[in-house]
Amino acid sequence: MRRTRLGAALLLLFAVACGGESPEGRASSAQDGTILLPVRDDPTVSFCIWFQVGSQNDPPGKEGLAYVTGHLLAEGSTQDNSYEEILAQLYPLASTYGVRVDREMTTFRGRTHVDNLEKFYALFTDAFLKPKFDEKDFERVRNDALNAIKNTLRYSSDEELGKAAFYDFVFTGTSYSHPREGTVQGLESLTIDDVRAFYNQYFTLENSVLALGGGYPSNLPERLRTSMSALPAGKPAPAQEPRAAAIDGRKVVLVSKAGADASLSFGFPIDVLRGEREFYALWVANSWLGEHRNSSSHLYQVIRSARGMNYGDYSYIEAYPEGGFRQKPPQNVSRRQQCFEIWIRTLPNDQAVFALRAALRELQTLVDRGMSEEDFELTRSFLNKYVLHFAETTSQRLRYAVDDRFYGIDGSHLENFRKILPTLTLEEVNAAIRKHLQYENMKIAIITGDADLIKRQLESDEATPMQYASEKPAEVLEEDKEISTLPLQIAAADIQVIPVEEMFEN
Amino acid sequence: MLGHPTVRSRTTARRPCRWLVVSMTLCVLIGATTSAIAQKIFPYETHVETLDNGLKTMLIPMNSGGLVAYWTIVRTGARDEYEPGHTGFAHFFEHMMFRGSEKYPREVREKLVTEMGADANAFTSDDLTAYYLNIASEDLEQVIELESDRFKNLKYPEAEFKTEAGAVYGEYRKNRMNPFFRVYEAVHQEAFDVHTYGHTAMGYVEDIKAMPEMFEYSQSFFSRYYRPENVVVVVIGDIDVGRTRKNLQEHYGDWARGYTPPQVPVEPKQTKEKRIDVPYEGQSLPIVWISYKMDAFDPNNLELMSADVFAQLAFGETSDIHKKLVLEEQVVEFIQGEVNMNRDPGLMDIIARVKEPQRVDYVVQEIDRTIAHFKENLPDAQRLADLKSNVRYDFLMGLDTPMNVARRLYRVIAVTGGIEAVDHMYRSYDKVSAQDVQNAARKYFVDEQRTIAILRPGEGGES
Repeated sequence: MRRTRLGAALLLLFAVACGGESPEGRASSAQDGTILLPVRDDPTVSFCIWFQVGSQNDPPGKEGLAYVTGHLLAEGSTQDNSYEEILAQLYPLASTYGVRVDREMTTFRGRTHVDNLEKFYALFTDAFLKPKFDEKDFERVRNDALNAIKNTLRYSSDEELGKAAFYDFVFTGTSYSHPREGTVQGLESLTIDDVRAFYNQYFTLENSVLALGGGYPSNLPERLRTSMSALPAGKPAPAQEPRAAAIDGRKVVLVSKAGADASLSFGFPIDVLRGEREFYALWVANSWLGEHRNSSSHLYQVIRSARGMNYGDYSYIEAYPEGGFRQKPPQNVSRRQQCFEIWIRTLPNDQAVFALRAALRELQTLVDRGMSEEDFELTRSFLNKYVLHFAETTSQRLRYAVDDRFYGIDGSHLENFRKILPTLTLEEVNAAIRKHLQYENMKIAIITGDADLIKRQLESDEATPMQYASEKPAEVLEEDKEISTLPLQIAAADIQVIPVEEMFEN
Repeated sequence: MLGHPTVRSRTTARRPCRWLVVSMTLCVLIGATTSAIAQKIFPYETHVETLDNGLKTMLIPMNSGGLVAYWTIVRTGARDEYEPGHTGFAHFFEHMMFRGSEKYPREVREKLVTEMGADANAFTSDDLTAYYLNIASEDLEQVIELESDRFKNLKYPEAEFKTEAGAVYGEYRKNRMNPFFRVYEAVHQEAFDVHTYGHTAMGYVEDIKAMPEMFEYSQSFFSRYYRPENVVVVVIGDIDVGRTRKNLQEHYGDWARGYTPPQVPVEPKQTKEKRIDVPYEGQSLPIVWISYKMDAFDPNNLELMSADVFAQLAFGETSDIHKKLVLEEQVVEFIQGEVNMNRDPGLMDIIARVKEPQRVDYVVQEIDRTIAHFKENLPDAQRLADLKSNVRYDFLMGLDTPMNVARRLYRVIAVTGGIEAVDHMYRSYDKVSAQDVQNAARKYFVDEQRTIAILRPGEGGES
């Protein structure tokens, strides 16, 4: 039944009065640091346990260790139950738990109906408190990770491959370069003893942050804290901050793959993070230029709507893994180093350089001229409500609260943004563009089945005119003349070609 | 559980995810077994009305923090593409619906939708095309105005039509390297001799390439299928029912009737097993995909509901075959079984990704052994009870936002044309016994009713 707004307000007061720990529906921090997000009328309980470890902590030569460790805990046996028994016990509860391992974070997530809390709690917490490190589970999890690289990433989705190749290229030589799943040789070198030692080093109480949300009973936070004391002791040293090498000019990697169309990802590291006012200013500009999976994206309008070249074109100022498979930003992929990134979805190889030029031209225009007042106001209006969809469920809000902790944000990132939006000025946004965006120094990754053609077009800087199957308006054709001859200024020595089978090998 | 087959996979997923976001309505209803909720499983008030022109509206008020999900479900999908050379057209037409009208040309419409910060999109599958906007409740009236306008008055120039055809080809391009898409496409083509389920919602590549030349056909398509009798508007969230109903009547009431049903051919009964090898030029682990012919969805068909229960018991995550092949022998990366909810007789799919190419035959044998076992033995009573508990809690946990409610309802609404099927299904599922599961295994899972497709990498194919 629908509750009236007055009813909701009364409930809020009641929750504050009775709960005493945290305002209803809003995350806050308990004295011991536990993140609490009580939602009294939510019939479910959400958990998020964050360990401050990720693929950046993989020892050299053991790339994939963090990923396999996280997944072995979430998808393996415990001291009390085999994995098969765990699945059987979770099944009637319709509850699952899982893990996300990213560069800097490992988060265990679970959700259950409050009716089933007791049964679920034991299974969920055992996963990271009492892992069995079963050799057979280890082989399965490692094999899945190897397959994720050797077959899925390399061969099943050129778009995800393009993004991974871009990150690898930008962060070469740093702990951020390899995919979170690791590398083929790194995974093959792992042993169960490596996993056990990694767990003991990083999955400690001092290295964890607990987060609870939904309609949980009032004693659950304390109970969880007590349970967690069974974790190994110790506080590992923080991983060194990844510093991508400065980029001088435009560098290109062509990932050569027989039969592939072209998928492009390009950009450069930026020195601004969520929580800073400049970040929010830059967010407005980026949303206008390339809001993910949205026809309001300017790049989308130029490349897809006006020219019908591909399925979509977007830009980012934060990591956005699995972009091809999600509509809204993922949580718990927080990073100390972010990139500005443009993503051009799959298109024919002979149109790749034109699309690259079109996107570069739009970026150049944005950097040189800034946003217009009209676009600024429209984007501000859009974002004010659009971000409401980023965290509609308790679980999503809880994960955002964990990310807020990562970035040291006081309050809520999304709520703060909505508060800051009306106070932002066009001048601030344009200043943030000038400070953080540029178009001269960047790394470009292209997956392609015709590396020879693209290499030749790039290094010769020859015109790449577009041919259309349908009639186009005169202004589009006029613009095409400028796009097709936009100077690329890419030196032949700055173009490397890598066969796909060598990607993420070691 | 019940749903729609897969055409793509996540980078690290152990299971393929779905071609579209799939309604879990049927499966979640299975578990609601207590008699207290036997008559009504869905917890929210539902206000259903049919306007004089045949348009059905469903209003579902719920406390949602000011959010509203506005869905327009057109009961037309790839199934309706019965005319040769026009496969993929329902999906293409979905793209055209974003190209504007005289009153709200594309740029104007996009600006209005952008201003309201709507999460707006659409998708097409075999039996339906769905358009949705997830909005703040204060924007509902404007959305009713915009949506009713484009469904009544869509207008686009030929040049824009041709341009959009390029974007559709781009969508095909991004999918075509996915091995699950390949085998999904191939198994449907093989399984159906004449029915339109033989092609995917993307359509055949040669038809996609020819789309720019079908401008006139597109107008005929709109005129025949985008009519009120063929559409359901669903509004969920913080809404005033009386006001919303009045608004819908005002804006949609003058939409002219004129639906012309498609002449979908009737698939003859399959009489012998079909086997195909699916070529794939990339690198992939082999995929085994076995599809059995099923009945059309009918919430009162106890045998079909029992087949779905069988699919979970036999091939789900707690099944014996999962334990043996995934966990113990580690021969397959995953295995799953699923009955699809379709308007016409469709398929039940068993899908496994095999880790070693030489073990493909063994995996098929194990699948056969599993089916034979269920034909000879009644399922374990505890597992049947666990399954019913699973779907009950899955249902209860999945209705937390207007969009999630819509995702659970849209397919049953599209396939049946109403929401009553929810309760009817529940009553049927409530009756499923161990004996019914065995009967379903015996009835549906026979060799002459199936198509076996094996994708093996490195055997060339389309470029």
